Amino acid sequence: MSNLLSVEKLTMKFGGLVAIDDLSFDAKNNQITSIIGPNGAGKTTVFNCLTGFYKPTTGQMYLHQADSKVSLRKYTDFKIAHVAKVARTFQNIRLFPAMSVLENLLVAQHNELMIASGYSLYGLLNLKSYRDREQQAVEKAKYWLDIIGLTHRADDNAGDLPYGDQRKLEIVRAMCIEPKLLCLDEPAAGLNPKESAELNKLLKFIKIEKKTGILLIEHDMSVVMGISDHVVVLNYGKKIFEGTADQTKNSKEVIEAYLGVDE
Amino acid sequence: MEKQDIIKSFKDSLFTGLIALALFGPIVGLRTASKGEGLFITPQWGVVFLLVGLCILGRFLININSARRTEFKIFSTLSSKFSSITEGKAKHFAITGILFAVVFPFLPFTDRYFMDVAIMILTYIMLGWGLNIVVGLAGLLDLGYVAFYAVGAYSYALIATTFGWSFWICLPLAGLFAAFFGILLGFPVLRLRGDYLAIVTLGFGEIIRIILINWYEVTNGPDGITGIPRPSFFGLPFKRSPDEGEMSFHTFFGLEYSTMHRIIFLYYLILVLALITNYFTLKIRKLPVGRAWEALREDEIACKSLGVNPTNTKLTAFAIGAMFGGFAGSFFATRQAFISPESFTFIESAIIVAIVVLGGMGSQTGVVLASIFLIGITEIFRDLEQYRMIAFGGAMVLIMVFKPKGILANRKPTILMHGDKK
Repeated sequence: MSNLLSVEKLTMKFGGLVAIDDLSFDAKNNQITSIIGPNGAGKTTVFNCLTGFYKPTTGQMYLHQADSKVSLRKYTDFKIAHVAKVARTFQNIRLFPAMSVLENLLVAQHNELMIASGYSLYGLLNLKSYRDREQQAVEKAKYWLDIIGLTHRADDNAGDLPYGDQRKLEIVRAMCIEPKLLCLDEPAAGLNPKESAELNKLLKFIKIEKKTGILLIEHDMSVVMGISDHVVVLNYGKKIFEGTADQTKNSKEVIEAYLGVDE
Repeated sequence: MEKQDIIKSFKDSLFTGLIALALFGPIVGLRTASKGEGLFITPQWGVVFLLVGLCILGRFLININSARRTEFKIFSTLSSKFSSITEGKAKHFAITGILFAVVFPFLPFTDRYFMDVAIMILTYIMLGWGLNIVVGLAGLLDLGYVAFYAVGAYSYALIATTFGWSFWICLPLAGLFAAFFGILLGFPVLRLRGDYLAIVTLGFGEIIRIILINWYEVTNGPDGITGIPRPSFFGLPFKRSPDEGEMSFHTFFGLEYSTMHRIIFLYYLILVLALITNYFTLKIRKLPVGRAWEALREDEIACKSLGVNPTNTKLTAFAIGAMFGGFAGSFFATRQAFISPESFTFIESAIIVAIVVLGGMGSQTGVVLASIFLIGITEIFRDLEQYRMIAFGGAMVLIMVFKPKGILANRKPTILMHGDKK
């Protein structure tokens, strides 16, 4: 299995606080890599570095393509999603609540639609080429809504959906930009066991059918252990363990980090 | 309704009366009058007791109204009925409105005064629609919108008086200038949101006004620009006695000369400009850039995570909003034939923002209703002179009490998967 993402000696300092300390790990193609660790371990900071919201103090992050590797440090802000095709979701859901479900998915296809609309010119002239492209975008949105079973609510406001559906919608919205790497920040937070099981199914579908690498931050161990191919454990910004789900469960360091050490 | 509720609201209204007495007592009750050798105080307690009584009664009625939740909520049921009517028949409503606007100049009761008010209302509607792009769609609170109105008016005036070009050439140029200033304002405020953005845009509005006052060589300072050419009807001027060898509007069509011709023409001009603004906004809202504006209003961070370029998106909103402000400014200049910095004070920005917010952010029909309501009310109460601003304020309070999200606050999706169910 080839590497999709390599993080090399990543360090992120906020003033005197070292949030991530010399972290290196790889995520492979068509695999789900989980990052776990106690609260404040620096998991979300890793995500923010990867997705361009923070600029790491030192270290490199490479995204491997067919025959070359791209440094993610070169891209900031929206270009991570637009050019490098790294999509992410957020710990606290960030949908566009007053816009409809369908519109949420169309905004995710903004850049392609913008070009198709001739930067609004063809769109204003109502040319057929643009109308067709828009129809295509709607079809894509429908495809994803069918998968998460929300097609019947496509015209409702995203903010009116139940919490579990909002989580799923945020994930498929990220998938609409056709990412190479999908970063999910605690997708199971606040879900009940049934919804967590559905989430597992969705993530497996994305991994197997869409051949998209997934990087996952999660506290819900039923999700982590159920679907992860590879687990990276952080504590105080340092990697303390790396291995398969089963190895992680039995690792002494991990248990110590979560439960503390006997005096 | 329980007995103790009545007693409670009665006590509450008596307390209100006490506060009213403390306020009205010295302010209204003690009237100073100058009589020959000095100032004398003439007490007028009757008026005070009347006002205090009104306050007690009003408070009591409001209390009862809110206590009986389901039975007696006149205003809120009325307003919700009103919005359900307009919601269901939005299209009919719009068409009737436009038809009425088209025949308005020829209705029997329409006179010069009505036309002037109508032109003023339409100007504000156009400004409201322009600002709606920035505030309603992109969610960027712009308190300095009048700056673009001013840029449009001055560009038109300067180009028209210097080069003598016709209205139809100067209008797009003025719009372009205003759009350029929109981008100029946009760049430094890209990172700002909410209150901070509002303060900077407010400052921008003042900067433009102060430049207009002080840059005497170009703008003629506080004296303003006079003799701005009036628009002509496709080359036919509205003059009583046209120059030698020239046709005038009334001689060409063989009509009796009347000053109303020009006013009717101006009316249709602003009507067309406003409708173009509306059409453009409705169209662009359904395009990717329009959706990106709304997405940016909802959540900027999520936009970035989806690859939407926030810089370009914001700048287009500023530029397009400013452009329509510039068009309205050119119209203002050609209508008045005289402009000075006094026409572009902060109160204008405030009125336009009020129209957008009270109309319901992002609602095009709401802007129309709010303009008619706010401008119309100040005109109706014109006889009361300085008290008409109380009517203006009262109108705002009424809307905010009964429709806190604006007159028409419902948003329709820009695209539907299952078609319109209604």
